Amino acid sequence: MLRVENLTKIYPGGTQALKNVSFEVKDGEFLVIIGLSGSGKSTLLRCINRLIEPTEGKITWDERDITAASPKELLKIRRNIGMVFQQFNLVKRSSVMTNVLSGRLGYANPWLSVLGIWLSADRERAIKALERVGIGDKASSRADALSGGQQQRVGIARALMQEPRIVLADEPVASLDPVLSHSILQYLEQLNKDGITVLCSLHFLDLVHRYATRVIALKDGVLVFEGLPQEINRAKFKEIYGEEAQEVRATSFEAPA
Amino acid sequence: MTAVPPQKRSPLIAGLLSTLVPGLGQGFVRRVYRGVAILLATLVVTGMVAWYGHPAWYFAPAGMWLWNIWDAASLAGGQPRTILIPVIFGLAAAYGIGWQVVGVNFAAASLDRALAVARPMIHPDLIERASDKNSMWTPVYVPCPLTGSSPVAQREHEGMVASATPNCGGPTDELTLSVSGMWPDTDTQIWWNTAIGDTNLLGGVNGNSMLVVRTDANGSLTTTIHVPLNILMAQPDKTLTLEHQIFFDQYHYTGGYRISYNGGYAIKGMLETVTMALMATLLGIILAIPISFLAARNLMSGNPITFAIYVIVRTILNIVRSIEAIILAIIFVVITGLGPFAGVLALAFHSVAALAKLYSEVIEGIDPGPIEAIRATGANWVQVVRYGVIPQIIPPFTSFTIYRWDINVRSATVIGMVGGGGIGLYLIQWIQNNQLRAVSAAFIAIAVVVILLDFLSAKVRERLV
Ligand SMILES: Nc1ncnc2c1ncn2[C@@H]1O[C@H](COP(=O)(O)OP(=O)(O)OP(=O)(O)O)[C@@H](O)[C@H]1O
Ligand SMILES: [Mg+2]
Repeated sequence: MLRVENLTKIYPGGTQALKNVSFEVKDGEFLVIIGLSGSGKSTLLRCINRLIEPTEGKITWDERDITAASPKELLKIRRNIGMVFQQFNLVKRSSVMTNVLSGRLGYANPWLSVLGIWLSADRERAIKALERVGIGDKASSRADALSGGQQQRVGIARALMQEPRIVLADEPVASLDPVLSHSILQYLEQLNKDGITVLCSLHFLDLVHRYATRVIALKDGVLVFEGLPQEINRAKFKEIYGEEAQEVRATSFEAPA
Repeated sequence: MTAVPPQKRSPLIAGLLSTLVPGLGQGFVRRVYRGVAILLATLVVTGMVAWYGHPAWYFAPAGMWLWNIWDAASLAGGQPRTILIPVIFGLAAAYGIGWQVVGVNFAAASLDRALAVARPMIHPDLIERASDKNSMWTPVYVPCPLTGSSPVAQREHEGMVASATPNCGGPTDELTLSVSGMWPDTDTQIWWNTAIGDTNLLGGVNGNSMLVVRTDANGSLTTTIHVPLNILMAQPDKTLTLEHQIFFDQYHYTGGYRISYNGGYAIKGMLETVTMALMATLLGIILAIPISFLAARNLMSGNPITFAIYVIVRTILNIVRSIEAIILAIIFVVITGLGPFAGVLALAFHSVAALAKLYSEVIEGIDPGPIEAIRATGANWVQVVRYGVIPQIIPPFTSFTIYRWDINVRSATVIGMVGGGGIGLYLIQWIQNNQLRAVSAAFIAIAVVVILLDFLSAKVRERLV
């Protein structure tokens, strides 16, 4: 159980990106966060693993207080929270293998890892993770030699290396075409079915309806909706996205079940 | 642009004003910038002609002045004239005066002199045919002593005997030389080594070429020579008898080639140059890495103090970079004395500035995404640097460093000429001694190394980027 209470983030420039946001995520949920660009989705996700320090509020995870964790504890907490990014955030010049292995840094011996030495168990785990996302043959390629969809799968494999109990996905498919979007989200859905809690921000409502088990919506940093995907009707949509908004669909293909 | 439409005014008054002061008429019709520009341009060109030029060049400011009157009058009617005309006048004056100042003189470049330089350079003194040498000499005394007699002009050495008859003489006197016990049937070079070690040739007209005589089947030869005409020229007391030497040199080509004496120095100098460049680059890297972090805007713009440091460091780097390494070398030669160390310091100084700037630009271009991703895995900061930062900066750092080394090798060749060591030091001596064949060898050594390095550095950088 992840509990966010009265979370507020004010950036040094004075932008108030989150205002008093509170919600809960139960283990095993696929929680989708929606909202306009600039509504604070990325900020919220990054506050959960404290890549961004919240200004106020409290985040607890199974009675552990993330916001109060010492730097050492924070590293331990982070290694159980995988993260997937819109821009994939791979080290482009490194090999796919190195990128995937870097997901294991929280577990590895710090000295050996700095020397670039990895246990064979970690290497096997990396190959398994790559095979799980269907690109086991790409281990020795340079990361930037891969297509966008493949790079995002490397990103997921890297997150898998963390043996995560939660995966934070910040618009994981916004840089991909609709067909690839489904393929990536299906990997996340599979993880979710295997018991990993997923928090994912998404732009397209049809994707939300297809994958979310629950939805929260942000508007200008304020939580304006919390409920099931089916509850987002026209009225709610206008409320979240504004009066002039038109829904754009990610794809007219229905994703293969 | 100030798109104010020119006001209609009297063309006559505008023209008259511009006749008095260039640009004034333009100012009168409210084209103030144009007026000021015309005034300044006319003044500058007039000044230039007054300072450097032949009076004939006054046609240029005169032309500009006439155009300015025409322009003012037309402008009053609402129609500007093309500024191409005064620009051409100005450029013509600048170019003509420049020609005069530089002293272009094609007649000074004579073909004969060019050939005199080019001919020896076609045969670089880099390699020679490998040979064994057999050498013998005999003493001879110049001039004959006024009283008494000089020692016998004969010498025995390792079974060879050489002698000169008579044993003494003055300039142009005839001497008979004979030598025995040398290699049989071999061309023998015979030359005069003066008391102070100068070489005098003995063949041709007045000794303008090497005298070559072949030994007989027994290894003996006899020939006559004349004592060189100018033999006493460098001698203050022309009556003082001194011992000179006459050499008999034989060569057996043993097949194959070897590096010649000067060629060896060319290679040694080039190795020294490459090493200098390497040392300087290494020193440059060590100092540039920490400095580059201070010169990276993204790291330093956080608060006013670090930003001030950033500005100061950047300014210093820009100043140091603007000083040519050769100027620095001249300064360091004064500080540390002649030799490679001065050159290394000069190159290192320049390299630090150049590399720090390039490195800092690499750091400024780091993608924060991967760093964020590595942090999210629970990595500590050393691991974040190792997996998120270093892979991003090492390839461009390496690429820039190799490029710098490449530049440093080129600079190092020149730096030797001001005393900074390496091949330049030999090169400048050979140029001054007119040893053009050795100069040519040095050119070859430089070219080979520079081209090779250029090729390799391009290849390596291609792979890194
Ligand atoms: N590092 C930062 N410094 C200052 N302001 C920031 C920073 N990052 C984000 N913001 C501001 O905070 C607000 C929320 O941004 P955030 O990136 O969380 O929105 P988002 O919902 O993820 O938007 P998008 O869909 O475009 O990714 C925006 O107004 C943004 O300008
Ligand atoms: Mg975002």
